[in-house]
Order: sequence, then C-alpha cells, then structure tokens
Amino acid sequence: MEEIKIQYQKKVNYLSFVKKIFEEKNKKFILFDSAMGTTLQKMGLKAGEIPELFNFTHSDIILDIHKQNIKAGSDIIITNTFGANEIKLKGCKYSVEDVVQKAVSLARKAAGKKYVALDLGPTGQLLEPLGSLKFEQAYGLYKRQVIAGADAGADLIIIETISDLYEAKAAILAAKENSSLPVFCTMTFDQNGRTLTGTDPITMVNVLEGLGVDVIGINCSLGPKDILPIVDEILKYATIPVMVQPNAGLPEYVDGETVFNVSPEEFASFMGEIAKKGVRILGGCCGTTPEFIGILSDELKKIDPAVPEPVSFTCACSSTKTIIFNKNQPKIIGERINPTGNKIIKNALINQDYGEIINEAIVQKEAGADVLDVNIGLPEIDEPVIMVKLIKELQGIIDIPLQIDSANFEALEAGARIFNGKPILNSVTGKEKHMEQIFPIAKKYGACVIGLTMDEKGLPKTIEQRVEIAEKIINTANQYGIPKKNILIDCLVLTASTHQDQVLKSLKAMQIIKQKFGVTTVLGASNISFGLPRRDLINQTYMAMALTYGLDAPITDPLMPEIMETIFAYRVLSDIDKNSEDFISRYSNKQPEKLLLKEKTENSLSNIVIKGLLNQVEQKTLDLLKNTQPLSIIDNHLIPSLDIVGDMYDRGDIFLPQLIRSAETVKKAFKIIKSNMPHEQEKELTKGKILLATVAGDVHDIGKNIVKVLLENYGFNVVDLGKDVPIDSIVSACIEQNIKLVGLSALMTPTVENMKKTIEKLQKSDNECKIMVGGAVLNEKYANMINADYYGKDAREAVEIARKFFQNTK
Amino acid sequence: MNIEIDKKEVLRYLGGTAKNNDQITDRLIDECIEEIKEISNPKSQYRIFDIKKNQNNIQILNSILILKGKDIIKHLIHSKKVAIMAVTLGIQVDQRIKYYGKTDLTKAVIFDACATTYIEEISDNLESEIKEIANQSNCNLTFRFSPGYGDFSLVVQDNILKVLNTSRIMGLTVSNEHILIPSKSVTAIIGFEDKSIKKPTGKVQKRADNEKCKTCLRYKNCIYLENGTFCEFRKKNL
Repeated sequence: MEEIKIQYQKKVNYLSFVKKIFEEKNKKFILFDSAMGTTLQKMGLKAGEIPELFNFTHSDIILDIHKQNIKAGSDIIITNTFGANEIKLKGCKYSVEDVVQKAVSLARKAAGKKYVALDLGPTGQLLEPLGSLKFEQAYGLYKRQVIAGADAGADLIIIETISDLYEAKAAILAAKENSSLPVFCTMTFDQNGRTLTGTDPITMVNVLEGLGVDVIGINCSLGPKDILPIVDEILKYATIPVMVQPNAGLPEYVDGETVFNVSPEEFASFMGEIAKKGVRILGGCCGTTPEFIGILSDELKKIDPAVPEPVSFTCACSSTKTIIFNKNQPKIIGERINPTGNKIIKNALINQDYGEIINEAIVQKEAGADVLDVNIGLPEIDEPVIMVKLIKELQGIIDIPLQIDSANFEALEAGARIFNGKPILNSVTGKEKHMEQIFPIAKKYGACVIGLTMDEKGLPKTIEQRVEIAEKIINTANQYGIPKKNILIDCLVLTASTHQDQVLKSLKAMQIIKQKFGVTTVLGASNISFGLPRRDLINQTYMAMALTYGLDAPITDPLMPEIMETIFAYRVLSDIDKNSEDFISRYSNKQPEKLLLKEKTENSLSNIVIKGLLNQVEQKTLDLLKNTQPLSIIDNHLIPSLDIVGDMYDRGDIFLPQLIRSAETVKKAFKIIKSNMPHEQEKELTKGKILLATVAGDVHDIGKNIVKVLLENYGFNVVDLGKDVPIDSIVSACIEQNIKLVGLSALMTPTVENMKKTIEKLQKSDNECKIMVGGAVLNEKYANMINADYYGKDAREAVEIARKFFQNTK
Repeated sequence: MNIEIDKKEVLRYLGGTAKNNDQITDRLIDECIEEIKEISNPKSQYRIFDIKKNQNNIQILNSILILKGKDIIKHLIHSKKVAIMAVTLGIQVDQRIKYYGKTDLTKAVIFDACATTYIEEISDNLESEIKEIANQSNCNLTFRFSPGYGDFSLVVQDNILKVLNTSRIMGLTVSNEHILIPSKSVTAIIGFEDKSIKKPTGKVQKRADNEKCKTCLRYKNCIYLENGTFCEFRKKNL
C-alpha cells in the first residue's frame, strides 16, 4: 500500500512539466519532431533490419536527423528506441540498456536545452488472450526500457503507435512505477475510427487518462486530413493536453518504394486546422521530415488554439466499449457471478474451472447486462490470485466492462491492475480506514468506485445520515484526486421483510444525494424481497420505484425478464422513450417475456437430436422427465440417437456442422436432466474422466472443443485445460486429478514437437495414463512416432477410443 | 475491398455438399458470411524484391530475409524476382470465433470456414494485382508458397513479418512458436518467372503436380487425394 501512496503523491510533480513549457516559456504549442523509421529507410536501412542498430553503426546519421529537427523548431525530440525491447532486439549483440543509453545520449547531444523523450513503441507481439504475450511480460519489457531511459537522462517518456489498449496500460504502469518522468501516450487508429484491436477514442481517453498520463493523443494512423474526425472525438472527452502526430498521408507502394503523398505545405495547413481546435502538442510520424517540422513551426506562429470544453460523465469501459451512466437509459449491472447461494459458481471457483462462470457472463450479457459484477468471495480460495485469473478469462470473451467486487482490497487492486479497461470497484464505505485503503487504488488505476452509505457507526437510520456519509465519501475521494464523476453512491437496500421502514428512506436519500452532489447512483436491488413470497412482484415494483427516485444503475439479475420489462416501461412513462419507440419495437406483438414458452413439438427426442433442433429439446426433455427416469432418457433416447448421427456422419449423409448441432442439442438435454437429478445419482452418469488440452504453442482449439462436446454427450467427464497449455500444467493436472485418459490436440507442425515432449513427460510421471492424440497435422504413423497410445482422426473416433478404454478398465 | 465469400467454397471446407446441406446450416452459412464481412478488417500488402541464389539458400536482396529449404529453392528455381505478401482479416475475427466457441460451437465451425474462404479469396485478389505487375515485365507467377509448406520452416515467418513491417502496418504479429496472430492470416512468397521458360506438359506435368501436393500441410491426410482428385487450391495454383 505504501507504494501506491508514493505514486499518488508524485502525481503533483508530473502535471507541472507540460504546464511549465506552456506557461513559464510562454509557448502556445509544443512541437515534437519528424519520423525516424521512414527516414532511416531512405538512408539505407534494409527491409526488416533493426533501426536501433543505426545508433551504433550510423550514429552520425541519427545525430544529424535529431539536429535537423531541433534546427527546424522541435521542442522535444524522440530517441531512436521505438523497438528497443527484448523481443525485437533478440539475437542482436546489443542489450536493451546499451541501445537505450546510446540513443538517449545521441538525442541529448543534439537537443541542447530542448527536451529528450524516451520512445517506447509496441512490443511487437499481441497480448493475451488473443496473443500469447502475458500482460506481466509486457510490463517487464517496458520496465527494462524505462529504467534504462531514466538512468540515461531522458526528460520524459513517450509511448506511441500503440494499437492495443492493454499494451498501453502495461507501458504506462511500467513508466509510472519505475520512473518519475512525465508520460505521454498516443495510440494509432485505423480509417474506421478504431485501433486495430477495436478501441475507440472515447474509451482510450477514459482509460488512459485514468491511468494518470500527462498527455494523450494519436499518432501514425492516417494523414493529417483523415485523422481530423478522430482528433475531434479525443478533444470532446480529454481533460488533459492532447497531442497529434500524423503520417504524411497514407503509405502507397510505388515501384518498390513506400511513398507518402502529402507535401510539407499541405501537412502544415491541415495541422494548423488541428491546432486551432485546441491540440497544442504536434509533430509528424511516418513520411515526415525536418522540412515538415520547419514549415509547421512557421504555420503555428499564426494560430491561436481554442480551449477545448470536454464533456464530463460517469462511465466504465472495457477495451472496446464505454458504458456511460445517464438517466435516459438505466444501465444494468449483472450480479450473477457470485458464489453466495450459487453452487455452480462456488464449485467452479474451487476447481478453477472457469467454463461455467464464462457461461454465466455470456447469458447475462446476452440478456442485456451493461456491466458485470465479479464477486469471488470464498474463504477457501486465494482471492487476489483467482481474481486475476478469472478477469483474464472473462475479458477474453466478454466485451462489456467489469465491476470488481470484493471485501479484500488486495483482490480489488489485483483486479483493477489486470483489467483491460476502466473498471468499477465495489466498494468503499464511509469508514476512514476503508477509504484509506480503497481510494489510492481507484486513483492509481482510474477506476470508478461505489460508495456505500455506511460508516464506523454502522447502518444509518435516517435520510440525513445517509446524505452526510455520501458527502464524506465524495469529499474524501476528492482529496485523493478522484473526481466526482468516478464515484457511484449506493444507499443500501435492506430487505422489506425486516426493515420495512428503511425502504423509502434509502430511496429518498438516493434522490437527495443525486440532486445535491450530481453523482451516479446504484442499488443492489435484489435483496429487497428476501423472505417474502412472490419475490418477482416485490422486485419489479421496487425497481419501478427506485427508477422514479433517480436510480441510474441497478445491480440485479438480468435474467429476470420483469426487470428489463420494468425498465422499458419506465422509460415510456417518464417521457424518455419518445413516442414509445423502443418499447413498441421491443414488445408489440409479443407475449410477456416470461410466458414465452419454448417451442412445442411433435418430434420425438430422437428426431430432435438427429435433426439438431436446439429450440425444441428443452421442452421435450422436460416432458419426458415427467414420467421417465433420467438415466433411461440418456441410455435409451440420447445415446442411441447420437450413434445414429455418428453413423450418418461416417456415411457422409450429414457433415460437420450438423454433427456438432446434434451434439449441442444433446448437451442441452443433458444439462436439463442433470439439474433434475438427485446428486447421488449424478455420479452414475459419469462414464470416466478425460483430460483434454491443446498443446503448448498451439492456439487453435475448435477441434478440441468439438471432441469435448461429443465426449460429454456420451457421459464422459471432461477436464478441459484449454489451448496453448504448458507441458507441466498438463502433467500436474493429470496427477492431481488422477486422470487415466488424456487427449492432446495439435494443429501445427511445430507444435507436434511440444506434443511429443508432453507425452514423454506424462509417461515419465508417477501417474499412469494413456494418451490419445488428434489434429490436422497428425496421422496414425505420426502418432506412433511420438509414442501416443491412440490416434483419433476425428471427434467420432475419439469417442470410440474413450468408450473402449473405459470398458476395458472396468 | 469488395470480395464475395463463395458459399460453395465454405461448404467444401466444411466437408459438405449440395446434397447433405440442410436448411438450418445453409442459413447459418449465409449469416456467417454477412457477419464476417461486417466485422473483419482485412489488410494486405506485398513488396517485390530481387533475389540472389546461393548454394543452400536464396537471399532476398535489400532485406534481412534468407529463404532456406529444398522445397522453396525448387519452387523458385526459375524465378529472378519474388513478391512477398501478407494478408490478415484482423483480430476481431479471432475474437468472434472464440466467442462462438463458447456460445455456439456449430456457428464457430461455420464462421471459421467462412473466414478461411475469405482470406483465400483476398489472397487470390492480391495475387492478381501482383500478376499484372509481373505481366508488365513479361513474367508469369509461381503459385503462393507459404511457410510451413514442405520443409520451408515456419521460423521464417518472423523475418517475413519484419520485412513487411506488418505488426505496425497491419497488426499482424507472430507468436514465439512462429504462428501468425491474428490466426486468419496468410504470408506467402511468389516467384516471377520469365514467360519464355518452357514448362513440362502432359504426363510429366501431372507427375510434377502430384509432387507439388507433397509440399502441402495436409498432404498426409488429404481427403481429395484419397479419392483420386485434388483440391481447389491445386486446381487454381498448380
């Protein structure tokens, strides 16, 4: 915690850097320099060569480019260290420190009294979950550059040409935690207005500003004309200085050369337009030269920049979506990821098998949740560790923001750090000690935080006490530098059955707090009905009341249709949904949502499976369960139908998508049967436990997932370790879970080598097990060569192998 | 870029035919085709280089790239120049495949096949652009030869991407295991051969073509060769 406070105090010094230049030196603009990489190409840099090597082999050229820029009017020049990280320098004879030291000293030599910015470009690899570079590794790469750059005497750090918000976050944290230098960060956007990984300007501004950068902006990307709409968006939201360094137009490939087609004069003229809007830090990227900077410098003398007026609102962000809280559309925070009272989530957390939790996240999102609350509070797990693992899984699948919910402040910090976006922290109370713990976290990571109106004295009894506590929370947050827009107040819902007199009081307090302080409000709305019959009725009525009193975001169960219905009806009655357009388009010609029955059917279950009629299987299974034993449905209906489907597939009467659809249909039936079965009977279902994994280095997992569904269909219990699984993880999971049959998949030739190593290690381990393998690059011969016990050419064969294997072991 | 995704090709990737295709699957394919076109962000580029042939490798001049392996050397045997190309559909396609992998496996598989079809078509399109340039210098093109074919090691992927600066320009990167990320991406080397070079025809050519199949990743499991036919790829390229 000590470390966080230190960071927070340093913040005061950071701000003065840009201010110092603007005010003390009485400058209207700060001018950066022109491109390094494209200039070096003209000077003989070979395609693919490491540009940073020029610091050593052609230091005169580098020095000259820097000097020309200074002469042209640059206030800040950028070191030739764009790719000076361990990954990109791999195999080269200079270390990161050598390169950074040399590059900074060259820039320093040219800069004189002007400033030197340490350049940090992208790592060159894509971060998890879609790539393989871990967030922590990316942080480590940047940390090394930052320490070297600060030691070498850089004046500031510029993180630039970043496409991936997560990478920007890793770089910013590395810069701020390992130096006291000012941090500038610019991302690169595509013509569609988003970065290549899908971040839009509003999200970039809200996330990166929150992380405490001094300057934010855009570079590279497009020419100065095409970049305008993106600049406008950034200016709309940014409350810190904005920086723009475009290319000299879009690159074109002519006669073997990359050319940029905007002239220095055109460039300066468009940049003048950008400057007028209030962008006060400017420079050039690919295709620009010192000549561009010189002409731009003259152009800027004629311009007086406008003072941007950014809009302010409360929001949470994923890496690609910003959810703005406003009263026009109450936002739903899904509450279902919580082990309290939910056995499935509880078991998933204990077994670290996150599949069920991901499903819970998906169904909530699809039901209309805008944000997902993530609570993993169980005494038997290491909360900070599991929080990190789970958030990584969730953000790989779900594109909506997360609300990190924990009483353990270490878990809150771990979650806020690893989350790719701007999270909400749930929660802080008015207790001094509590605020001391939570606010530095919210400040450091730029998170929103929910303030509960309770303090050392416990739950308040009166409206006034609630308002007082809210005020205390808002004011204390302000002392930590947390703006009001990042505070959401929760007036606490007490159950009507025990605290009936408090129900209206908390709503009235919420109304006053909202009016008086202008903060966003949330309520954990489901507790209200606890202990009463017809909870749906109480919940629905309470929701309507709370919305009327000004609730912005209920924390609730989005799978309860009446909650969504109430919100849409409320928007009609409060004149928000003009002409009831949204309501009509959603509900006209429709039955109430909860009465929407699953499709009735005359088909037999067998037919439903064979045809893969997913929407009919639920009702049919439920019907059958009324007078058939669960096990009998499985053995006499599902499995024989699956066999028929399998034969049809083998004959070519159906093809892969149909086979999978049938398998998914059976999966759905299984789920219903299981939930209708006494626990002791569930064990009889299991025909054997199988571990599946795609081996290290391999990121393809569709094939493995198909095998998994089919195996589960036939009653096997599948432990799925996912894709790109390290050898040791597979071996230790096999030992821990006493696995007798392992299925490994590899899709690429080079990863077959990892498969071979995995098999070797498994066979040497104490756990005796058999191994089946499959995947596009394998065949029977190959499988033998790498010592696998079985080869399955497709999912059907995997099932046959498993069936025989477990029959024999019995 | 206005390239249609050929439904017949999608079916072929899925192992389907007009006969065993059903209505639900057919509709899903249409949906996926639409969706891919909407969410993907295709990027492609190429550069043309002179080459120098050494005893055991081919050097791509004015770059850091050196091509090693019997098969690529054979492939470029008549070539005097090469085009190096890269194509990607963008990371959103991977994200969507992953999402459907959790929510709707049937759709995930179909989506994947549509993406594969799409990227092949974009590659074809880029190739015809390169072909026009080749024509101007009176050259024919070899077929696209990608890392992983035959003994052309995937390791070369790293330097191909560096030469084209793909991570910066197209967001195309490579993992430690030399696998392209986004996964729906292609890199390839195409040779420029003088039109005057005479190539074998008839039986000799057929044998040579079968030989070329051996450079394919799927050669050992090829369902087409098993039935005595060959795939669309070969039809177009060999």
